[in-house]
Amino acid sequence: MKIATIVVAIAVLFIASTIYTQQNKKLDTHLVEFTAPFVFGRFNLPENNPLTQESVLLGRRLFYDPILSSNNQVSCATCHKQALAFTDGLKTSVGISGNPLAFNSMSLVNLMWGPRHFFWDGRVSSLEEQAIHPIAHVDEMARNIEELIVDLNNDETYKKLFKQAFGNISEQNIAKALANFQRTLISANSRYDQYLRGEISLTAKEEQGRKLFMAHPDTKVVLRGGNCIDCHSQFLTSGFGTAFDGFSNNGLDDDQTLQPGLFTLTNNEMHRGLFKAPTLRNIAVTSPYMHDGRFATLQEVLAHYNGGIKRSKTLSPLIIEADNIAKTQSDHISLNLNDNEITAIIAFLHTLTDEKFLANRAFSSPFMAENNDDD
Amino acid sequence: MMMTKSTKVTLVFGTLLLTAGLAISSFWLRALPQDLTIRFHPYVGDKPLVLNSQSYKNPGGDGEFSIRDFQLFISNIALEFSKKTINEAESYHLVRFDGDSTFDQFVIPNIKIQNLRKLSFGIGIDPKANGAILFSGDLDPNSRMAWNWQVGYKFLLLEGTLTLRESQLPLVYHIGFDESYTKLNFDIAPEINAKNGVINFKIDLRRLFQKSSKVAKSSIRLKSNEDIEYIDMSEMSHVKFSPVDVKAIAIGFHDFISIL
Repeated sequence: MKIATIVVAIAVLFIASTIYTQQNKKLDTHLVEFTAPFVFGRFNLPENNPLTQESVLLGRRLFYDPILSSNNQVSCATCHKQALAFTDGLKTSVGISGNPLAFNSMSLVNLMWGPRHFFWDGRVSSLEEQAIHPIAHVDEMARNIEELIVDLNNDETYKKLFKQAFGNISEQNIAKALANFQRTLISANSRYDQYLRGEISLTAKEEQGRKLFMAHPDTKVVLRGGNCIDCHSQFLTSGFGTAFDGFSNNGLDDDQTLQPGLFTLTNNEMHRGLFKAPTLRNIAVTSPYMHDGRFATLQEVLAHYNGGIKRSKTLSPLIIEADNIAKTQSDHISLNLNDNEITAIIAFLHTLTDEKFLANRAFSSPFMAENNDDD
Repeated sequence: MMMTKSTKVTLVFGTLLLTAGLAISSFWLRALPQDLTIRFHPYVGDKPLVLNSQSYKNPGGDGEFSIRDFQLFISNIALEFSKKTINEAESYHLVRFDGDSTFDQFVIPNIKIQNLRKLSFGIGIDPKANGAILFSGDLDPNSRMAWNWQVGYKFLLLEGTLTLRESQLPLVYHIGFDESYTKLNFDIAPEINAKNGVINFKIDLRRLFQKSSKVAKSSIRLKSNEDIEYIDMSEMSHVKFSPVDVKAIAIGFHDFISIL
């Protein structure tokens, strides 16, 4: 009698657990296959968020869906437009409140490489963490995450996509999906990339600009340089990935007007006024420039480095010291490039535009594609 | 007092057991591999280097300097034992001092430290790796230590400010070039081995500013620090690509690092 009870109990438990496992079983996922230039180097992926096709498919839909905002009118793509290399062309972005934000919209490209700190002031250390901030921010999307999760649960498409990618809908999984879609935004087919692969030659002007870009000037050996390489790495053209090496005070403000920058994160006075050196890929289409969008054109940016530098106590010594004429006076900081050199550097910066990336349909709005399919 | 036969047997047996135990345990201890920590402590002369907040006397002239960033490459570590030599794989370590700690270190696992006789490493990047686009160890062509693929790496990066009366002079020392790559050898005494598997090295920034003529005179180490003449930082406040200047600084690599 006792034995029979135990057998029955075990059988019931077995059946119940099997049903439970079957119902909650995560469906099979498939890793994204991607290629990237060898010179980009090692890439960073979090262990708890494998780059699956299912999560990218979901992330792409979320990225373009205004459901993420409280008034259902603002999506990530509002401030990150593909044609502008995922920037918005504004000085500083404007979200749901209509109040201009503190910062210029950052280009989203090659995010698996370079600094592991996101936002201009580096205040978060993962793309997952970054993804949630704008959704909750009162001026950006002002969305209550709990309410968003309820709305997503009421949407059959999202229910299916989340189930396939992660099993269920949660804040964490929203973040993971958005992060993974952004990781697939790889730009590696600019004229500079083609040049690096040996497929094309740069024009004489572009080549002159490339050399200037890659050189810190040294008058002692008659080496002229634009000094870009001191903050923008040679292949990625982003800030450096190690520690806070990718952050710099590039002389935009004096001590009186210096903004907190990286200090926001570290509380280290030496980090006051340091901002993330952004990638320069597609830089020709991501105006205006700097963390507050203060420069409208690349000419203005070059003019800044060529005589517009303001002194402050955390200003990079590399900027103070970099000069193409032997220092005669120390109070005026300038690269002292000539006009010809400035146009050469700008010509080189234009070789970083990747038209295929800007038009790649895999990165475009899935809603547009759905509508097109209906036609 | 006479020992009984059984006491004698117990005693002999016990001694044998103890000896065997000691032999086994000492053999075990000697043979046991452990992590070897190579630790670097930055100094300016006798004073520990503190970034940003601390000032130091210009070694060869007027004024005081402070350091904002200091990084260097230690590479190709070779560990020489009584019977063999181990070369660490992918042996490129970026040593930097902007963290929360007063030192920087790296660990080489599974080393029979007790048998270690000599240790050698290079300051900088060997010419083969310096001329290649390689992702090995801490080598990263997209890092701050890389110039560009035609020039190679900065072996040492030292940036700061020299305050001279009212004026401030930026200090920029980016020291690279194949010719600057310097191999250093150290004898590892048994008492060093005993320090919990840590070998402590002192890096003395002042050594970079020793006048080359003094150093070049002979290979004998100078006995007194007072005998050394130093470069005036205000006369050589930035060194990047001028081969003569690079050499003047890099010659200090020979005396740059010592066992603490």
